[in-house]
Amino acid sequence: MRSLFEWVDALPSSIALRESLNAYPTMLTVHVVSMCLFAGLIAYWDMRLVGLTLKKVPVSNIPTRLFPWALTGYGINLITGGLLLYSQPMRYYDNFYFWAKMALMVVAGINMFWFHYATYKSVQAWDQGREIPMNARLAGVVSLVLWAAVVVTGRMMAYAGLMPEWWNNLNIGA
Amino acid sequence: MTQSFFEWMQGLSFSAWMLEETWASPIIQCMHLVALVAFAGAVLVVDMRLIGRGLIKTPLNQLARELDRWMIWSFVALFVTGAPQVLSTALKQYYSPFFWWKMQIIVIGLLFTFTIRRRVAFAEEGTLGHWPKVVGVLSIGIWTSVSVWARLIGLLS
Ligand code: HEM
Ligand code: HEM
Repeated sequence: MRSLFEWVDALPSSIALRESLNAYPTMLTVHVVSMCLFAGLIAYWDMRLVGLTLKKVPVSNIPTRLFPWALTGYGINLITGGLLLYSQPMRYYDNFYFWAKMALMVVAGINMFWFHYATYKSVQAWDQGREIPMNARLAGVVSLVLWAAVVVTGRMMAYAGLMPEWWNNLNIGA
Repeated sequence: MTQSFFEWMQGLSFSAWMLEETWASPIIQCMHLVALVAFAGAVLVVDMRLIGRGLIKTPLNQLARELDRWMIWSFVALFVTGAPQVLSTALKQYYSPFFWWKMQIIVIGLLFTFTIRRRVAFAEEGTLGHWPKVVGVLSIGIWTSVSVWARLIGLLS
């Protein structure tokens, strides 16, 4: 892994991005705005599942009508996040919050697929109703918590001085 | 006048505490972003509906009414997590053009949201021609530009 990061770090295109004055502000700003599109819509989907809001909207309406937009936001989010990483791989290599964020995203993805291919199959039975199955509510809560944690770890990546003690002791950067 | 007000904010013992306490600023910044996501979703679902996208099977005024309090309370959360940052970095904010742009556009955005947008979203559907589309696009534009200027305060000031 480390040699991969070091290899990217030495690529001319990575160096060019890193040394450009405008690239970092532009990528980070687009990252935040596209996060709003993705996470904003997904949050209301999750809250619909939990039963917190949008109770009169049929559940199955949201994936068909809102997911294309949410996924567009996610796509831009992944591209700008990937470019940010590409431009300074060694800055993030020993960053606890970076790896935590990636791990949280993987878990959030597993939760999403699990829900979609298991619980969601029976949506016809509870599409209009207010009684959402416990499994679906649970998937909603888990998703809300995980994506909020992704946002938090995303912001915390900027605080290299605030990594947990045990992480620093691993000395990954050295 | 304005400058001495910002100097006064910077000099408060709360500001000093925020700067001394290692975790205070990062935690508040994270909460500001979580509130932003809640705000963005509440605004966007209605704006998309105004434009004729998204949840078109649900009546517009029903969606707008339901999401109104989510929009208002998440804005309150943005204010509550934004204000301490203004206090602790008052002089940086004062000298940042982006901060002033952000605040001016927030004022415009609030006026627009609680007058024109509210009327259009709560109106009988299909009676206003193309106006709902214009309002939806303007709303998305306003809040996106607020986020852009906000992010640039930290990056370029
Ligand atoms: C492959 C996917 C992603 C990668 C590689 C990635 C990478 C990054 C990088 C490198 C930064 C810059 C950190 C810094 O220099 O301070 C960042 C910031 C951030 N990311 Fe991501 N990211 C990804 C996906 C996401 C997702 C899905 C979300 C939220 C749902 C997210 C939320 C954030 C936030 C909130 C910030 C902080 C922005 C700020 O400082 O205003 N990221 N990300
Ligand atoms: C009156 C309410 C608000 C106040 C007082 C406020 C204040 C602040 C302050 C002081 C910062 C830190 C800027 C810096 O020095 O880096 C900030 C960051 C930010 N604000 Fe606000 N804000 C408010 C509402 C909003 C709204 C309505 C939005 C978006 C629609 C927004 C989006 C952002 C964003 C995207 C950031 C950058 C986040 C980061 O990465 O740290 N804020 N805000």
